[in-house]
Amino acid sequence: MSVEEIYNGIYNITIDDRSMLATRNLIPGLSVYGERLITEDDVEYRQWDPNRSKLGAMALKNFEIPLEYDSTVLYLGAASGTTVSHVSDILRDGIVYAVEFSPRTMRDLIQLCDQRPNIVPILADANKPQSYAHIVDKVDAIFQDVAQPNQAEMAAVNSKYFLEEAGQLMLSIKSRSIDTVASPKKIFKEEVRKLESGFDVEFEVLQRKELDPFHEDHLGLIAKMFVDDGE
Amino acid sequence: MEFTAWFGKLNINEEGEVEDCQAFEKDPEKLAEVLVSLQETSRDEAVNAPDLRQVALDFGFVELDKDYDIMLRDVCIRAAKMQISKSDTDDTRIIQAVEAMDDIDRNVNELSERLMVWYGRYFPELPLKGESLANFVAQYGSRESLPEDHKFFEKAANSMGSDISFADEELLRHLASNICSLYDTRSHIEAYIVTNMGSVAPNLSNIAGAPLGARLISMAGSLEKLAAFPSSTIQVIGASRALFKHLRDRAPSPKHGIIFNNIIIKNAPWWQRGKLARAFAAKISLAARMDCYSGELDPSIKENLDKKLEMIRKANPSAPKKEKKGGKSGKGGRSGRSGKPGGSNKKDGNRRSNNKKKGGKQ
Ligand SMILES: C[S@@+](CC[C@H](N)C(=O)[O-])C[C@H]1O[C@@H](n2cnc3c(N)ncnc32)[C@H](O)[C@@H]1O
Repeated sequence: MSVEEIYNGIYNITIDDRSMLATRNLIPGLSVYGERLITEDDVEYRQWDPNRSKLGAMALKNFEIPLEYDSTVLYLGAASGTTVSHVSDILRDGIVYAVEFSPRTMRDLIQLCDQRPNIVPILADANKPQSYAHIVDKVDAIFQDVAQPNQAEMAAVNSKYFLEEAGQLMLSIKSRSIDTVASPKKIFKEEVRKLESGFDVEFEVLQRKELDPFHEDHLGLIAKMFVDDGE
Repeated sequence: MEFTAWFGKLNINEEGEVEDCQAFEKDPEKLAEVLVSLQETSRDEAVNAPDLRQVALDFGFVELDKDYDIMLRDVCIRAAKMQISKSDTDDTRIIQAVEAMDDIDRNVNELSERLMVWYGRYFPELPLKGESLANFVAQYGSRESLPEDHKFFEKAANSMGSDISFADEELLRHLASNICSLYDTRSHIEAYIVTNMGSVAPNLSNIAGAPLGARLISMAGSLEKLAAFPSSTIQVIGASRALFKHLRDRAPSPKHGIIFNNIIIKNAPWWQRGKLARAFAAKISLAARMDCYSGELDPSIKENLDKKLEMIRKANPSAPKKEKKGGKSGKGGRSGRSGKPGGSNKKDGNRRSNNKKKGGKQ
């Protein structure tokens, strides 16, 4: 068995020629959603299934995941926390603000928060960053996975409010939430165009790749905001 | 400018510096209450928030970075819990409401029946029943109290009913007014269901309408159970009576449960109904799952349903020609508004296999 840290806090574990993605378990002994726990050299890791996580898929598809152990992250569309739990593992000295607007889903997320000291749950609509502006400070990174028609706009608005100048946006775009019939390629192109010049903050897209075979019709992208330094 | 952070009110000057901070009491439960109300009242205007953590440290709300995180997390968890218990997505109250409505219906029918028989002895010519009879009796009592301009005045004057005693009149009016208030309660419950289905099952309400959606939840036993049913089961929910009849009397097996009551299906020509009901049940099942697992309204389910229904209508404009006339065609009487006549009859032969492809292009 070999363990290799491919990004900060993200590991590639190889057992008998089969490799898997994993994070280091912040709360050893606890599995969050039935994922496998693996111990090597007294460190416990949690397997991270890329089929259940856009961020996991991005890591496997060689995106440069811009997270550090002590980053602060704004996570939009936290759902019941499958991926948030891994982000919480990665940010062992940081903090993740997990925004989710479905009360039913939030119920599960809160149970996760009760176990983990670095997740701050926020029941709010990510379309209304004002409603959590009195809680959330500037963050080092934003991750968004909301599967909504106005995904790009939501990401832009939140970046404007909360993203540190040097911070990066990680975004998963689901084409079927935007249009069920149009070709995903066309939709992705349009969404990227919007991010580059459609809103009052503009982005430079650093990396973009479709997330298949883990997630069909999803585009992953990492971008940073253009800082207006022409004063 | 004033800005309220989760830990206190800040005064911010023109330069964007925080001049003053009135911290709230450092009690997590109270802070959580403040937070919930802040979230509810937040307006749409853009705010330029200062570095909250730094302010909290500068003004001594917390001493260490770490304390800030611990406190904020604690407060946010409490606030989220408060919001969840407030939002009350609990489906049991919908079931209670539906069942209460059924109880009322049963009782009100029985009592109305009683009122009709009893009051009929005194005014047999009165052509009213149900709620309007109850209203009438509660208002007038004896037929002799009708004003001259009342539309039943003539009938009352020439009635062959027996005379009513004062005691009977009092009693009947009392009974009638109780029936009226039951009807009233019923319509309250109906309105309650419509409003509350919006938060309990927004997608189901959007697809099926709140009353039908509520009934489906109630018959399934819970939203979760409804969400777990395959759509073929959803299609026959509520058909048990027809099912017994089928088993006992060899009546045709039930094809449709209560979803058949939906206006879309009810008003469709008979040969489309089965297909429409199937499409409808499939989307109801999807909607119930959405409501159960995410709780968020997804308008695309309805859009897709509408598209699908339209496709079915277009692909089946007229009654299929059958070799022998089955008993079914008798039911076709109500189907006045079948598709445009002469639409695509010539394609009848292989219409079935072509349904899908054709629908999209038409
Ligand atoms: C695809 S799921 C996210 C899955 C999650 N990221 C994971 O990998 O575990 C999308 C979530 O976004 C939430 N969502 C959708 N619109 C939202 C909004 N406007 N604000 C906050 N959350 C939203 C949905 O309720 C849903 O739980």
